[in-house]
Amino acid sequence: MLGGILRGKRTLLRVPTEADIDGIARWAADMRVRGALTRAYWDEPATRATWKERLTKQSEDKGSVLWAIEADGALAGSCRVEFNVEPGADHIDVTHFTIDPERWSQGLGSDAALTLSRWIFDIVHARSSSTSLAAHNTAAIKLADRLGYKTFAVGHAVHYGDGRYVDELQLRMDLETWDERWGEAEREYPVLLGEELER
Amino acid sequence: MLGPRLAGERGVALIPPTLDHVKRNWEWQTHGETTRFWGIRALDLRPEHAEERFKKLAEARDNVNWSITHEGDHVGMTGLFDINWISRDAESGIFIGRHDLYGRGIASEAIRLRTRFAWDELGLRRVHNWIAVRNRGSRRANEKAGYRQMGRYPRAWFRSGQWHDEWLGEIFAPGQEPPGWV
Repeated sequence: MLGGILRGKRTLLRVPTEADIDGIARWAADMRVRGALTRAYWDEPATRATWKERLTKQSEDKGSVLWAIEADGALAGSCRVEFNVEPGADHIDVTHFTIDPERWSQGLGSDAALTLSRWIFDIVHARSSSTSLAAHNTAAIKLADRLGYKTFAVGHAVHYGDGRYVDELQLRMDLETWDERWGEAEREYPVLLGEELER
Repeated sequence: MLGPRLAGERGVALIPPTLDHVKRNWEWQTHGETTRFWGIRALDLRPEHAEERFKKLAEARDNVNWSITHEGDHVGMTGLFDINWISRDAESGIFIGRHDLYGRGIASEAIRLRTRFAWDELGLRRVHNWIAVRNRGSRRANEKAGYRQMGRYPRAWFRSGQWHDEWLGEIFAPGQEPPGWV
């Protein structure tokens, strides 16, 4: 599936289109992006025609959602989540989250990640969310910590890149944590009380 | 890929799966005795789906699948999945469908054969897995082979009125253990 509009303070998560392919393909081939991730990027570098096919397949896939991240009217990143395969698990896995490396350290990742988390917990009402991060990706780890993710496992020397093996952190955040930390401030719609609910 | 024949001890062997094995594995997954720690007992059991799935398993280049036999009888399945040929890492899994044979060390021997194949024939350096903490038999069989806990996933799934955690394990090929790994 393709994700709809989610408004953050500085970023907008919106439906990805063919016009976004050039940006998405460029990041897939960027060693800075690849080096920061533990899992493969959405997919490997490929021709434009293949990327178009991938976008179509993504659109048809009921088990995952892809968004384009926009900032200041321009494409600034992309993110993707998968639903847990077991019905009733109420769990969402953030499989990739990328900000254009030319726009790193501008706070766009924090804003977009909070916006995505709001969708996960306030709209979908998932019980929990998980992701995995390379142990050397300190910016992403700080961001996840600020959101409320906790490390539940450390895989040792899991991934190979830049001439060395790197550890992988597996992190999880529960709905209760979201409610405590962000629930009041980050609701998409105002809470309706009493008569308001009946009108 | 379908794995080659590996003869083990105590009558246990890993052999290339057949279509009948795939169908039987799925049939076993409809039983309560085998699914306390596995799945939700609901799956696509159409013969054509089994044929399609079997073909995909055989053609895939990122996994190795075996049927487990005991004294010549098919009793379950095991494999190495999502093999990353760059990081030389894979996920492992095992399922014993013949619950009347639980506790006889069949899984332990199958894991030993599978792990040796991962190091000696595939050149992998790490294998990891997820097991329900309460699935003591499977966890012990993996620990016996050398898997060590790398974490614990809390409240992974709900069954019969209670939450269950998952045990996350990893094992390294001899000489490939990272510093500090116990």
